[in-house]
Amino acid sequence: MKDHFSTFHPIVNFGYFAAILIFSMVFMHPVFQCIALVSAVVYSIMLKGRGAVRFNLLYMVPLLLLTAAMNPAFNHEGVTILFYLSNGNPITLESILFGAAAACMFVTIIIWFSCYNAVMTSDKFIYIFGKIWPALSLIFSMALRFVPRYLTQIRIISGAQKCIGRDVTQGNIWRRARNGIAIVSIMTTWALENAIETADSMKSRGYGLPNRSSFSIFRFDSRDMIVSAAMLGCMSVVLIGAAMGENTIRFFPSVKMIELTPFSVVVYGSYLMLCMMPVIITMVEEIKWKRIESRS
Amino acid sequence: METYRIEELNFTFPLQESKTLSHINLTIQSGEFVAICGKSGSGKSTLLRQLKSILAPHGEPSGRILFCGQPLEEVDPRTQAAQIGFVLQNPDNQIVTDKVWHELAFGLENLGFDQRTIRLRVAEMASFFGIQSWFHRDVSELSGGQKQLLNLASIMAMHPAVLILDEPTSQLDPIAAAEFLAALTKINRELGTTIIMTEHRLEEVLPITDRLILMDEGAVLADAPPAQAGEALFRMQHPMSASMPSPMQIYAEVDGASASAYPVTVKEGRQWLNDFLSSRTAAPDTMAGDCPQLSSRTAAPDTAAGEPPQSSKQVAITFKDVWFKYDKHGPDVLKDLSLEIREGQFYCVVGGNGTGKTTALSLISGIRQPYRGKVLIGGKNPAKMKANELFINHLGVLPQNPQTLFVKKTVEQDLHDMLADTALSKEEKSAKVAAIVQFAELEHLLSMHPYDLSGGEQQRAALAKVLLLEPRILLLDEPTKGLDGFFKEKLAAFLKKLNDSGVTIVMISHDIEFCARHGEVCALFFDGGIIASDSAGRFFSGNSFYTTAANRMVRHVWSGGITIEDVIERCQTSS
Repeated sequence: MKDHFSTFHPIVNFGYFAAILIFSMVFMHPVFQCIALVSAVVYSIMLKGRGAVRFNLLYMVPLLLLTAAMNPAFNHEGVTILFYLSNGNPITLESILFGAAAACMFVTIIIWFSCYNAVMTSDKFIYIFGKIWPALSLIFSMALRFVPRYLTQIRIISGAQKCIGRDVTQGNIWRRARNGIAIVSIMTTWALENAIETADSMKSRGYGLPNRSSFSIFRFDSRDMIVSAAMLGCMSVVLIGAAMGENTIRFFPSVKMIELTPFSVVVYGSYLMLCMMPVIITMVEEIKWKRIESRS
Repeated sequence: METYRIEELNFTFPLQESKTLSHINLTIQSGEFVAICGKSGSGKSTLLRQLKSILAPHGEPSGRILFCGQPLEEVDPRTQAAQIGFVLQNPDNQIVTDKVWHELAFGLENLGFDQRTIRLRVAEMASFFGIQSWFHRDVSELSGGQKQLLNLASIMAMHPAVLILDEPTSQLDPIAAAEFLAALTKINRELGTTIIMTEHRLEEVLPITDRLILMDEGAVLADAPPAQAGEALFRMQHPMSASMPSPMQIYAEVDGASASAYPVTVKEGRQWLNDFLSSRTAAPDTMAGDCPQLSSRTAAPDTAAGEPPQSSKQVAITFKDVWFKYDKHGPDVLKDLSLEIREGQFYCVVGGNGTGKTTALSLISGIRQPYRGKVLIGGKNPAKMKANELFINHLGVLPQNPQTLFVKKTVEQDLHDMLADTALSKEEKSAKVAAIVQFAELEHLLSMHPYDLSGGEQQRAALAKVLLLEPRILLLDEPTKGLDGFFKEKLAAFLKKLNDSGVTIVMISHDIEFCARHGEVCALFFDGGIIASDSAGRFFSGNSFYTTAANRMVRHVWSGGITIEDVIERCQTSS
């Protein structure tokens, strides 16, 4: 399925991920954690398909279990003692719960970041930073241009050196080290030499003149407006809830949460809306498209 | 209106005695398409760089340059940046940003245009050059030709009054070069932009230019429309005339004294040839003109053989039913490739881009292995041989970019470095290096940094380096890329000498003229395999498009004329 959230303006994308990452980090309440984790997993699968399923099962589940098990082994606070270890340390219910919550948060954030990487492509990132500091955005853009270029060149040099028997894969360990240094040295000379022409090309096109502007292909349209408003709405409800203590949990010495009220359900609902927003947007777009297609 | 007026321009580089440019007087009218030609080092690039203050090299200039009636140094930098567009030689080095759209906007950003203007101009240029389909791509995914077109488009987005290009097609293959030149013609015709360019590919450039300026040793030798400028060159019997288009050379040699205009294109050459032959009451079969059914070509006896000439020499390189692909799921790059190269042959492989030529070369050097079939060098699998066994006294590979071989600060140190690991005594090493230096004529370049040499000299230094390993087989990947006619001939002479001493040479090239002139066996690569291979003469006379200009010019009368010399001889004996 094609993701539609990433077609929004970079500011919307970036704002969403910034908010969601902070929320997932701060809100330790189990309902919030479950909402965040489930949404993150669903969105990552929607974005990256089978690769994400494999990533989540193969790395995230073991990581979750490992971090959850780590805490009670080292942390012995809490009032509800379940049993004692052979060395006399107690295992408490609170530390198990805290371990589970921390592990859940950790994994949720990793999965959100994997989604962030897929949505915030380099040009969007550059655009965001260009707004803050225009010169930096050009440097980023140039770096992204030169890194792949240098990698290609180093492969070419290594190929050429291989044909005179001087690649890093040839000879004994000393020879290899020496060959490697020679390749890096050739690379450096080449890069410096060629950078002169790049500098000429930049100067020739007026780089360095005062009042440089910054162009982008992104436009903030009404669609971005609506989604931003919806996002801000959900966020404010969640933040009001946070101010009223709906989103927090106390683990030590004993587990304590605020009581469930109709208002807390509203806060949970808003948080679910917020976390699921990219998924909802994508699904709505898909349904719309299906309908247009079936009509024609 | 004048775009440029250059009066008595002289230029001397710091610490040099002789002038790089001397007494240049030129006027370039608005909307003209001017080509500047000359040997490497004749001052072409220096002259071009004088035309934009920010690119002018350090040194001592004298004289005046007026841009649109105003002295150039008084034109402010913003106007110069926008009005004078400059395209350099290397497509890769000029690209600054990572995305195509950003690169198109780069110059406009520098000039401080607002979003709307940039959006419009970028869109216009993308449409004009047909860039829409790769507008959102990363620049690293583009081909060389696309990159150079992007450079051109990103400069045109600034709406320059004049476009200056310094050998823009030297790094491109013939197809991409032709496309680039077509785009230039379009700019000149449809937008009226003045174009000043230096170029080696005279066959393609002369037909589209209004004016040809020939430079030699910093001075203007001739300045006239292409046909007249060429004529002047032949009148002077200047060595540069050897790099003029084939029809011009043939005409000059055969019929130079007559009053008709010099033919520039193959078409004009054909027309002249027909007139020439009919004016001489020659043998009836050469009178046939352009009608193929009447011509003797249909009965040409020597195009029948499809196999290369068999020699009794031993086989040096064998490909037997070779299949190769880069990825498990990728397309086959080589498909059922079989070929035999015998010892002492000069084997040329021609063919378009991306047909698998360079891949085949990497299989010979054992860097890659086929997934089916066999590659053998002297009966052994190169991928299984040790580096010492394969690359010392056996197989030499000259990479496409000679700069990838240079390690040291001077050419001399670099050559000595090659022998650093051998067991030879100091005297033996010096003797070996001295012999190679003499062979490659590097004596006067020994103390220079390899990067300070010109393209042709770098090529020679790299060749010398590879030759120190005393290879019996030499692999060359497009050795003539970016070289001018003079250096090509020099390279050819070296290869000939090596070949005569028994070295097998395998060369990949886009340069048909070069292969036809110097190759022994030529093969056409297409779609991962060899379609045809034969001795150079028969190979090219059997092709109708993929052949030399001289052959295309005369093939309706004599199918066998491949090189300029062949044709001249036939013309002279036909009377």
